[in-house]
Amino acid sequence: MIRFDAVTKRYPGGHEALSNASFEIASGEMVFLSGHSGAGKSTLLKLIAAIERPTLGTVTVNSQNVGKMRRAAIPYLRRNIGLIFQDHKLLFDRSVMQNVLLPLQIAGFPRHEAAGRARAALDKVGLLKREKANPITLSGGEQQRLCIARAVVSRPSLVLADEPTGNLDADYARDIMDMFKAFNQVGVTLVIASHDENAISAYGSRVIHLEHGALLS
Amino acid sequence: MMTWLAHHRQALIATLARMGKAPYATLFAIIAIGVALSLPAGLFVLLQNITRLAADLPAQPEISVFMQQNANDADITVIRQRLQARTDLAGFHFVPRAQALAALSKQAGVSDLTAGLTDNPLPDAWIIVPAQADAQNMARIAAAIRGWPQIAEVRDDSQWAQRLTALLGLGRDLVWVLASLLGAALVAVSGNTIRLQILTRREEIEVSRLIGATDRYIRRPFLYFGVVQGLFGGLIAWLILVVSVLLLDQQASKLAALYASSFHLTGLGLIEVAILLAIAAALGWLGAYLAVNRSLRLIESR
Ligand SMILES: Nc1ncnc2c1ncn2[C@@H]1O[C@H](COP(=O)(O)OP(=O)(O)OP(=O)(O)O)[C@@H](O)[C@H]1O
Ligand SMILES: [Mg+2]
Repeated sequence: MIRFDAVTKRYPGGHEALSNASFEIASGEMVFLSGHSGAGKSTLLKLIAAIERPTLGTVTVNSQNVGKMRRAAIPYLRRNIGLIFQDHKLLFDRSVMQNVLLPLQIAGFPRHEAAGRARAALDKVGLLKREKANPITLSGGEQQRLCIARAVVSRPSLVLADEPTGNLDADYARDIMDMFKAFNQVGVTLVIASHDENAISAYGSRVIHLEHGALLS
Repeated sequence: MMTWLAHHRQALIATLARMGKAPYATLFAIIAIGVALSLPAGLFVLLQNITRLAADLPAQPEISVFMQQNANDADITVIRQRLQARTDLAGFHFVPRAQALAALSKQAGVSDLTAGLTDNPLPDAWIIVPAQADAQNMARIAAAIRGWPQIAEVRDDSQWAQRLTALLGLGRDLVWVLASLLGAALVAVSGNTIRLQILTRREEIEVSRLIGATDRYIRRPFLYFGVVQGLFGGLIAWLILVVSVLLLDQQASKLAALYASSFHLTGLGLIEVAILLAIAAALGWLGAYLAVNRSLRLIESR
C-alpha cells in the first residue's frame, strides 16, 4: 500500500529530515514509527499524505506516485487518508460536532447521513456528550480524541497518526491504542508515530525506527 | 448532482450567516457597490429619456427648397408633381415669392428696406416635411431634390438632428467609460472584502486543504459571498435610480406641462434591471475569484 524508494527529504533551510529511506507497508498492516524528537517521523507521514514532496526518490501510495501528483489530484488522495495531526489542527470557531462533520462536508456526504456518521465517530471516542461544546473548552486529551474522531469519520482505508497519545495519561493512551487495534481488525492500515517506546513494545506490532532521518528497521 | 446541489445550498446559507455576523462591514461594502453602479446606470436612464424626448419633439425638421429666380409656372408644376410622387414625405407646401416678400415686409425693421425695392429679390420656395426625421433620411431627400430642374438651393435642417445624434453618441460612450471605471472599482471593493474574510478564515482553509478539500470547495463560499454582495449592491443601485426618477419626474412633468407635453421620466425596464443585477453579480464574483486565487497561492507557498 505504501512504498518508499530511496526517499530523501531536505527542507528549504538545507536540513535533511529524511535520508535515503526505503521500506514498504502492506495493506492492513499496523506499523509504529519510533525515534527521538526531530528524527523525522512527522516528515515521513507528511510525505505519505503529499503535504511535503520528496527531494529525491519516490513515495508510492496505492500505486500512485504521490511525490509527483498534480495539485488537483491531491485532495482525492487525502480523502482516503485519516490524518491525526501532532498539533491537532482543530477549528475553534465551531462546535465539536461541526469539526467532525468537516471531512464529510468536503467529501459531499448528504447532510443526514453525515450527521449519523459524525455522531457514531464521536461516540466511539467518548465525546458524544460534548458535541455542542467548543473544542477550546476540551482538555488536551479530549482534543486529541476529537482529532481522532475527525480522522476516522469518513472511514478511510489508511490512518496516519502523529503522536496520537502524546498528551494522554497511560489509561487514555491504552484506550486509544485499543481503538486503533479495533480499526486495524476491520482492515484499516495504520501508521502511528510515537516516541513512547514502552507503549510501542506492548503491542508487538512492526516498528520502523528513525535515527536522525535514517531508517533502522 | 445531489452533492453539488447540497454544497451550493450549504454555501449560500453560510454566506448569509457570515454577512449577518459583520452587518456594518457588509452594509458599507454593499452601499459602496450600489453607489458605484448607480452612476453609470443613472446616466444610461438619462440618455434613454433624452432619446425618447427627441423622438417625439413637436417641431418637425423641414427641408427648404428655393427655385431659380427665372423659374416660371410650368417649372413649379413639374416640381409639384415630382414632390407629390414621393412617398417618403409627410407633407409640403409652396411659398410664392410675393407671399414671402409680404411676410418679410411685415417684420419690424425690415419693412423700410423692402419698401425701397423695385424688384422682388426672393425666389419661390417649398417647405418640405420628411416622413422620417433622422439625419440620414433628410440628407438623402435633399440630395435627390438638388438634382431637379430649376432648383437653386436645397437647405436641409438636419444639422440639429446630427448634433443631437452625435451628442447622444458621446453620452453613450461616457456611459461605457464610467461603467468600466466603476466596474473596476466594484471588483476592487468586492476583492477587498473577500481578502479580509480569507484572513479571518485562514485556519479553516488550511485544515480543509489538509483533509481533502479541492480548490473549488474552498473557493465556493467566497465566490458566493462576492456574488451575493454584488447582487445586494445592484439592488441598492436600482433603489437609488427608482427614488431619483420619482423625485425628478415631478419637476420634469411640470416642465413638460408648460410645453403642453405629457412627457414622463421612465426608469429602468425589467430586462434592464435584470442586466444591472447580472453585471453586479458577475463583477462581485470576479473580485472574489481574483482575491481567493491570490490568497490560495499565498497559503500554499508558506
Ligand atoms: N517545514 C520545515 N522546514 C524546515 N525544517 C523542518 C521543517 N519541518 C521539520 N523540519 C526539521 O526536520 C527535522 C525532522 O522534523 P520532524 O517534524 O519530522 O521530526 P519528528 O520526528 O516528528 O519530531 P517530534 O517527535 O518532535 O515531532 C527536524 O530537525 C525539524 O527541525
Ligand atoms: Mg513530529
